[in-house]
Amino acid sequence: MVKASSSGWSSDLSGGADTIVARATAPGPAALAVVRLSGPGVRRIAGEISPAVDFGEPWRARLVAVDGVGGQAVAIAYAAPRSYTGEDLLELTVHGSAFVVSSLIERCVAAGARPASPGEFTRRAVANGKLDLVQAEAVRDLVGAETAWQARNAREQLDGMLSQRLASLRGELLELLARLEASLDFVDHGVEPNRDDLASRLARCREKLASLLATSAAGERIRDGVRVVIVGPPNSGKSTLFNTLLGTERAIVAPHPGTTRDVLEAELEISGLRVTLVDTAGLREAADPVEEEGVRRARAAVASATVVLELAPADGGSSVAGAPEETTTLRVLSKADLPHTAAADRLPVSCTTGEGVDRLRAVLAETVAGGVPDLGGEVAISRRHRRGLERAAAELGSCDLDHPELGAESVRWAARELAELVGEAVTEDLLDEVFASFCIGK
Amino acid sequence: MAAAGYDLLVVGAGHAGVEASTSAARLGARVGVVTLSLDTVAQMPCNPAMGGIGKGHLVAELDALGGIQGWATDRAGLQFKVLNRSRGPAVWGPRAQCDKQRYTVILRRLLQHLAGIDLMEGEVTGLVEGAGRIVGARLADGRRLEAAAVLLTTGTFLGGILHTGGERRPGGRFGERPSLGLGPELRALGLELRRFKTGTPPRLHRGSIAYDRLQPEPGDAEARAFSWRTRSVANRVMCWLARTPEVVQTIITDNLHRSPLYSGQIEGVGPRYCPSIEDKVVRFPHHRQHTVFLEPEGLDSDSMYVNGLSTSLPRDVQEQVVRAIPGFEAARFLRYGYAVEYDVVAPFQVLPTLECRSLPGLFLAGQLLGTSGYEEAAALGFVAGVNAVLSARGKEPFLPERERSYVGVLVDDLCSADHREPYRMLTSRAEHRLLLGVDSARERMMPAGHRLGLIPERVFHVEQRRWQRRREVRDELAARAVNPDPATRAAVRALAGVDPTTPTTWAGILRRQDVDAEQVAAALPLLAELPAEDRRTVVGELRYDGYLVRHRREVERLARLRHLEIPIDLEPGEIPGISLEAADALRRHRPRTVADAERLPGVTPAAVAILIGRLGRARDSRPPMAGSGGDGQAWPES
Repeated sequence: MVKASSSGWSSDLSGGADTIVARATAPGPAALAVVRLSGPGVRRIAGEISPAVDFGEPWRARLVAVDGVGGQAVAIAYAAPRSYTGEDLLELTVHGSAFVVSSLIERCVAAGARPASPGEFTRRAVANGKLDLVQAEAVRDLVGAETAWQARNAREQLDGMLSQRLASLRGELLELLARLEASLDFVDHGVEPNRDDLASRLARCREKLASLLATSAAGERIRDGVRVVIVGPPNSGKSTLFNTLLGTERAIVAPHPGTTRDVLEAELEISGLRVTLVDTAGLREAADPVEEEGVRRARAAVASATVVLELAPADGGSSVAGAPEETTTLRVLSKADLPHTAAADRLPVSCTTGEGVDRLRAVLAETVAGGVPDLGGEVAISRRHRRGLERAAAELGSCDLDHPELGAESVRWAARELAELVGEAVTEDLLDEVFASFCIGK
Repeated sequence: MAAAGYDLLVVGAGHAGVEASTSAARLGARVGVVTLSLDTVAQMPCNPAMGGIGKGHLVAELDALGGIQGWATDRAGLQFKVLNRSRGPAVWGPRAQCDKQRYTVILRRLLQHLAGIDLMEGEVTGLVEGAGRIVGARLADGRRLEAAAVLLTTGTFLGGILHTGGERRPGGRFGERPSLGLGPELRALGLELRRFKTGTPPRLHRGSIAYDRLQPEPGDAEARAFSWRTRSVANRVMCWLARTPEVVQTIITDNLHRSPLYSGQIEGVGPRYCPSIEDKVVRFPHHRQHTVFLEPEGLDSDSMYVNGLSTSLPRDVQEQVVRAIPGFEAARFLRYGYAVEYDVVAPFQVLPTLECRSLPGLFLAGQLLGTSGYEEAAALGFVAGVNAVLSARGKEPFLPERERSYVGVLVDDLCSADHREPYRMLTSRAEHRLLLGVDSARERMMPAGHRLGLIPERVFHVEQRRWQRRREVRDELAARAVNPDPATRAAVRALAGVDPTTPTTWAGILRRQDVDAEQVAAALPLLAELPAEDRRTVVGELRYDGYLVRHRREVERLARLRHLEIPIDLEPGEIPGISLEAADALRRHRPRTVADAERLPGVTPAAVAILIGRLGRARDSRPPMAGSGGDGQAWPES
């Protein structure tokens, strides 16, 4: 019968004493998003990414700075066992942009957390006996919703190229594995492994995996969209351009420098991608604390940009945006209807006359789409996919064909990672493969 | 328990029946064994060999549990060889050619003399039911034997039909009549039967072969015994290797219509991994030649077994095929190959104790349960025999775990899936293969054998000290530093052929696959003083180290889930929130614990979470079970 201890088995059913992280709120743009961390390493990770989080004073909201995410968060620390999962748990409420959330999660992963599997928080909560009779009903709904979401997602991807590519790669892995296994189990029947054949199969699998991984940055861009941030000195026409590109009067435009004091965001579609267009305060020595905060936010926005539109008005003035190296910067000469000297490296644009606006749109479209290869429009690799592929690639990277039982081990784990991505099991397929492709006799 | 009856009645004295009856008797049970013929106790009707890859693992585990197959093999063994020696220790497969006649004699004598066993000739034609249980068996001669439990191990005899070409005759094995009454009886009791098929190659006369045209296959220079009961074994015969020429393909293709396999005469499903030569030619036309091993069947026998040439082709075609092989031109047939079709009980109908789910008191083991091979049969026989006794005594069952043993893999695979072909053990069936090497079989299984009372105290203590010593040496090697100073580097370079440029340990050096461990061992007293086998085990484990970590983690996780037993009265459909598919899988397979449930197709992580939640609540609302063995004694879980 079931063991009577209430803690022994239940503390950790999910495979090890690790710490998991995930976005707890629904995906998609929103005002706020909650990122949740749970597990024994939460305190340590919190200490690393946001030292102000205080487990000494749990269950209280606290405004904290979060490292590497360029912003603040409202943190609530839940000390075990008084938390949703029964473990140490931290909830960070942040600005609900895909970018902020994904960088925060990546920061946590870098600090040692693992992206949670679907339903894993609830699973831990159930495992730790945190759910009573009433709450169990809620679990049912929650887990049900998760699986429905998973099912929909899986079906979408089944129709797409990604699943096909994953399936084909997995098929090749199983074939390689079958050959390795046959060389182990049937050596007494004259089944001799062909070392060159194994090596070339392994190389092919590695290549396929690498090319799939190469699409993952693009896939994330498709899924999460890109951020185009407009910067420039005060009164250089940033908000006018913002409104022009959006086609609405979203930002307040005035001839006074420093009109825009905060960061304004709006969504539009360019080249089939979701683009978040960001208007910022003019970059200059701020005149007052409010503007100073605006400038600070503008710089933070630049740090998180995929593309920066750096404006220099025809009537003079310029600024240094300080965009990170991997960010594409498009230089624009704004207010081009005013007299100016032509600058070879700047695209003249006038929102008043419309000069250069279409040109800018075209350049922007090309830039935004540039990072996305033509994948049939269906590949959208999620972070979960990327992590799975990375783990599979690491396994294959260390695959040792000179010691087939160890080589088989690596291929087996790699295949398992892919199986997890497509939701299938390994062993039965493997045996079918062994029997289908080998002449084995007694 | 039936008064004046047996504790256990074993029907059949093949490998399953022998292992079951001897282990049950050694547990103190009164055991009756009924066999069709005393001449065929523990017979090897197919190849004269025990062990191999996967199968050798089973023999080693069984031996560590206290079984007798390894012991008998050592005594009847003619040639000992560890297969896969060029690979890592996890997949080494000890194998022994055996003297068939001697094997039978040794085990018949054991059955005749072991206290508690009544060995008798007879044919069981029916079972006796009483109070919802099976309580005995009826014999063809009218006798009625009562027993607390009945174990059927009828091998290939249930409804057996032998095929050679167009010839078709009832039989369990060559020259032996089948058992015809029992099959219909099992059907009438509600069991689902299947038709399986297997085959055997021709036997040739020893004096009719041109050995100078064959390649000799000697045993290992150092013959390795299977059993802890054996001091040493020796090689006494040579085996031989030949290859079929291309013309064999033509001969077989031209005569395929005369093969009962292809004419539709055989309906049973054969094992894919053990195909007949005609299967091989049809399925793998691009293989121009096939390997054939010639193996002696005994010291006093003229019979040579042609491993790799299993067939049910007509006699004249068998002759053509065999005589086309270089060295076999003048081969004289002592016996022709044949296929046998027989009834098996679909194994999902038994519990992991091998007791029928629907018929308490009836246990099944061996080929009747759909396996192939002496080793699989013996392992199942052991599990069934021991559990029949434990059950009669009201004790906790013996349930080997798949993550700790091949015996566990075997039982679990059989009980949890629907098998459509004979089941043979392969190392690729074990997820945790690296943990399950033959070298660690005693450390893994002996504690359970000892708890059962089948391993003598003295032996157990000696072995325990060995394991302890191995662990100490391993720790010591991991602790002993090797600094990269010039003198040490030169010494290590000379000894191990590697250059330690950064501080490391001896474990770090030995872990490298390119280091000759024996050479290093010679210079390290710590290793040198270990027996060769233990030295190999220590180094082998060092080399698997990185891979073993996650296996151990997984095994620990499963162990936790294994403590969560699923009550037999739980109705999966009534668990709130569980998917229909998961509920269906749970209802059909009736997993015993959450760890077993997790492996079922359709049981998703979400379903597992819900199940755990449900069991947790059930646990909280139920009074503690006093004296139910729930205090962690669900052995063996060493």
